[in-house]
Amino acid sequence: MIDIFKDWYEHRHDYAKEWKKRTKGEVVGYFCTYAPEEIMYAAGILPVRILGSHEPQDVTEPHIFGMFCPFCRDCLAQGLKGRFDYLGGIMLSQSCLHLRQSYTSWQINIPVPFSYYLPMPHGVQSKRAYKYLRNELETFKKAVEKWLGKEIKDEDIDRAIEIYNKNRQLLHKLYALRKSSKVPLSGMEAMYVTITSQMVDKAEHNEMLEKYINTLTDRDVTNDRVRLIFVGSEDDDIEFIKMVESLPAIVVVDEHCTGSRYFWNEVKQDDDRLMAIAARYIDRPACPAKDWPELTRLDHIVNLVKDYNVQGAVLIQQKFCDPHEFDMPVIEKKLKEMGIPSYNIEFDVTVPIGQFKIRIEAFLEMLRADELF
Amino acid sequence: MSNTVYKTEPLKSWEKAKELRLQYYKNYAEAKDKGGIRWAGGAWTFDAIPAGLGNDVHSLTSEPYAASIAFNKELSLKCLEAVESKGWARDICAYIRNYWGSVIRNEYAFGGPFPVPDFIFQDHICCSHAKWYQVVRHLEGDIPMFCVDISVGPYHELNDSRLDYVTGQLMDGIEWMEKVTGRTYNDEKLFEAIYDECRTTSVWAEVCCLNKHVPAPLDEKTMYSLYVLATLNKHGKEIADYYEELRDEVKDRIARGIAAIPEEKCRLITDTQPPWGFLNVYRHLEKYGAVSVGSLYVFGLEGIWEEQEDGSWGPRRTPQQLGITFKNREEAVRFYADWNLSKPQWQHFYDPMLKVEMMKRIYKEWKLNGIILHYNRGCEGLSVGIAETRLGLIKAGIPVMTYEGNMGDEREFDETKTFARIDAFMESLSLK
Amino acid sequence: MISAGIDLGAKTTKVVILADNKIVSQCLELTGIDQAQTAEKALSNALEKANLSRDAVNFIVATGVGRNAVSFANKEISDVAADARGIIYLLPDARTVIDIGAEEGRAIKCFADGRVQDFAINEKCAAGAGTFVETMARALEVDVEEFGKMSLRSTNTIAMNAQCTVFAESEVVSLVHAKTAKEDISKAIHDAIASRIISMVRRVGVEEKIAVIGGVAKNPGFIDSLKRGLEINEILIPDEPEFTGALGAALTKA
Repeated sequence: MIDIFKDWYEHRHDYAKEWKKRTKGEVVGYFCTYAPEEIMYAAGILPVRILGSHEPQDVTEPHIFGMFCPFCRDCLAQGLKGRFDYLGGIMLSQSCLHLRQSYTSWQINIPVPFSYYLPMPHGVQSKRAYKYLRNELETFKKAVEKWLGKEIKDEDIDRAIEIYNKNRQLLHKLYALRKSSKVPLSGMEAMYVTITSQMVDKAEHNEMLEKYINTLTDRDVTNDRVRLIFVGSEDDDIEFIKMVESLPAIVVVDEHCTGSRYFWNEVKQDDDRLMAIAARYIDRPACPAKDWPELTRLDHIVNLVKDYNVQGAVLIQQKFCDPHEFDMPVIEKKLKEMGIPSYNIEFDVTVPIGQFKIRIEAFLEMLRADELF
Repeated sequence: MSNTVYKTEPLKSWEKAKELRLQYYKNYAEAKDKGGIRWAGGAWTFDAIPAGLGNDVHSLTSEPYAASIAFNKELSLKCLEAVESKGWARDICAYIRNYWGSVIRNEYAFGGPFPVPDFIFQDHICCSHAKWYQVVRHLEGDIPMFCVDISVGPYHELNDSRLDYVTGQLMDGIEWMEKVTGRTYNDEKLFEAIYDECRTTSVWAEVCCLNKHVPAPLDEKTMYSLYVLATLNKHGKEIADYYEELRDEVKDRIARGIAAIPEEKCRLITDTQPPWGFLNVYRHLEKYGAVSVGSLYVFGLEGIWEEQEDGSWGPRRTPQQLGITFKNREEAVRFYADWNLSKPQWQHFYDPMLKVEMMKRIYKEWKLNGIILHYNRGCEGLSVGIAETRLGLIKAGIPVMTYEGNMGDEREFDETKTFARIDAFMESLSLK
Repeated sequence: MISAGIDLGAKTTKVVILADNKIVSQCLELTGIDQAQTAEKALSNALEKANLSRDAVNFIVATGVGRNAVSFANKEISDVAADARGIIYLLPDARTVIDIGAEEGRAIKCFADGRVQDFAINEKCAAGAGTFVETMARALEVDVEEFGKMSLRSTNTIAMNAQCTVFAESEVVSLVHAKTAKEDISKAIHDAIASRIISMVRRVGVEEKIAVIGGVAKNPGFIDSLKRGLEINEILIPDEPEFTGALGAALTKA
């Protein structure tokens, strides 16, 4: 059953092209999970997240200075190589500086009919952010309407919110199964599911996800392994999680924007639909770039560690990601106080699996030291 | 290119600039002795806002303070290593690593232990800005912190809702400040501070414009020591007054034919902060008769500009010049937010092409021969989009040289190779 | 009870044989292309030295980067665990181990019983590892052994700006051209490497006593820089630091 999600992941472009042909709708690539997908979906657009392909590349060097993260370069590389040639539009909901460059370079070098920069507030802890974002969403909605030449009606938005919320509920349900001492799915399998929810039509994803959850009853893949949490930046590195889970470890939960941070909270329906959507994005578990003055991520991570009975943490960041680098030592300290050891890993476009395996093995040995004595 | 030899002479007001700078750091350190208030924030923060708390309120701005540390290589290395030892990565913003190092080592670069601020008042456009101080709080205990999000898009797309957002936050900031200091806020003092800040930042743009003159009366290296005053205390009356004095002196230099360097054969600008420990890069340029007449950085970080009637770039008219007198707090704060949002150095955050356009204009109006881009590993904010900036300038037919370095971590700068690059660039401009 | 520990490293393979937790034999071989064969050879040489037959060995534990190639091992453990275990056996007072191999530097904090408390490994960069020393010695045109000693004769402290191998090499060349004394350059280089390592050690927390193992342990210039940087007087170095990992493996419960 997981093969369906795996297939979507591996053939995401084929899926999008096929979807486009089937529905005659537009596909819009978004760069950061703060994109208000509901508005696009309501307009009949398929929003797809632009992610890298984890292959070494040499096309972005003239466009993005090497001090910026490998992820933003990998994303741009996909555009420069023509892999997203089916996109009718691109949009960025103001992200970190790194990823912002994938968008601006894309806009300059790979022009598409619709390109939109939404100045998503960074000050998400300010009460002023709600009204401001609500107004920005209205401007965005108008721009989409103008591009497509059609009005986005209230009932379209309601339907989009409903489908999106449903997906969030299902993903929550899937994650909750991993709290058990008998974990029915691997971290890698969970990764395939959450990542593909950012690639395929949510209605279709919901349908498959519901079926998939039903197949998990009585399944147990725990096999007496150490329960880990992955904390950090963008992570769709299948090779890495596969390697980790080939060792006596199982990833039971994550705090990534490709994972739990993406779907954690729902839109609370309200007559002012745009305000409801704005509130959802402002109140979601924050990206470190927007998480200030208070570091609210800490509580989120602490809760996950407790709820999922975590024994160790792997702290993952894209190389050169300043926002994550600010937080890491603070998170490490907090986890230590809770008695949860952690290990830091820096991701590049491709990771040295051999070297990292040695490190993760040493980390797991530290957690299971008794077996060596 | 001419072979004229121009007269040069040191700036008369140079000593005063030095004094103002040292006095600033002293004021901060000693504020508490006199019952005053100390606060910390970035060089871009809205520093006129805390001025409403009284005349005995002194700030420490992070970037210029960190640059002072970076200039002292030995101290800088100790600070950077102290930060790495605590687990923070080597590639984080180099300014704040120097600053944190000074906090961790409890060593104030101007003598004595590090003076802890009473509160933090910061703004946020670069992803690091608010995070800097979040870590400071982590290191120094829970210092009250307020931070204003100004990432509302480029100025030419500013609308009421966006301006409301920034204004609203600043209004909240004032209430918050009253609460954490227990002081009553004085709007009159705020108005004065805003008038002065507008004067400082507008007159600074005027000074920069004087460098359109051939030969340039100022070189960028000298301008660093002057513009820095605005990064410390741009709302300070003494800074605004000093800039007026400076402007008059520079005008006088032009009238008397005084140049920054004796043989001006080539005019350049740079981009982003220089590697502060290696300002000899500019001396190396001078060997070729090349003078950097400024940069978008030195012009637009603290200068506020607008298009003039003749279509050229010049100082933005101050409220005083426009005959505006503030009637209430909100009106003043709103004007103040708008003033700052027009800052040139905030525009490129949204699109590298906006930077290209500004640089093309400087290239033309300041009569340049080329542009040097510092690919600065120490600053994400000013290096953002720099590779596209390079491509855009090349497309516009402007000779461009790049070199890699770091404004505050000398371990990432290769002096020999940089000089070799400059030699090659000078050769390509037929200056060898 | 006889146990064997095999440390299959990138450059050399080490074997330690224990009889009731006492070292009875050790052996070092260059790691060939065929790692399995090297392991086999090193083990039989060590057994021969101790006059033991293969059957007498109760269990074998492998460590090192090539540990997967030791197909006859009963268990595998990481270098980190092996280092900690080995050092406590050799130097019971050690609490922090610094292991600097050719391409990797590690700092390990251990408990008194040899368990790992915390560890850090340098990132993908040669500037904190043995190869950096070799590259710099080459740039200075002195052999590696002399390079370490001459650092101690330095009379001036100069700072190295660059810490990336490539940058540093060009900086060394400029210093040579500027007629800077080789002794002073050597010291500056050792200080620079030590500072990288020290940052890593401080991350896991400095706890005395500190032991250094790995090839660089035998470089007096580096040890001197490390002492000054950590502001400590004493650094422990086992007599044969290269066997620490194999020893730790042999001590591990199969």
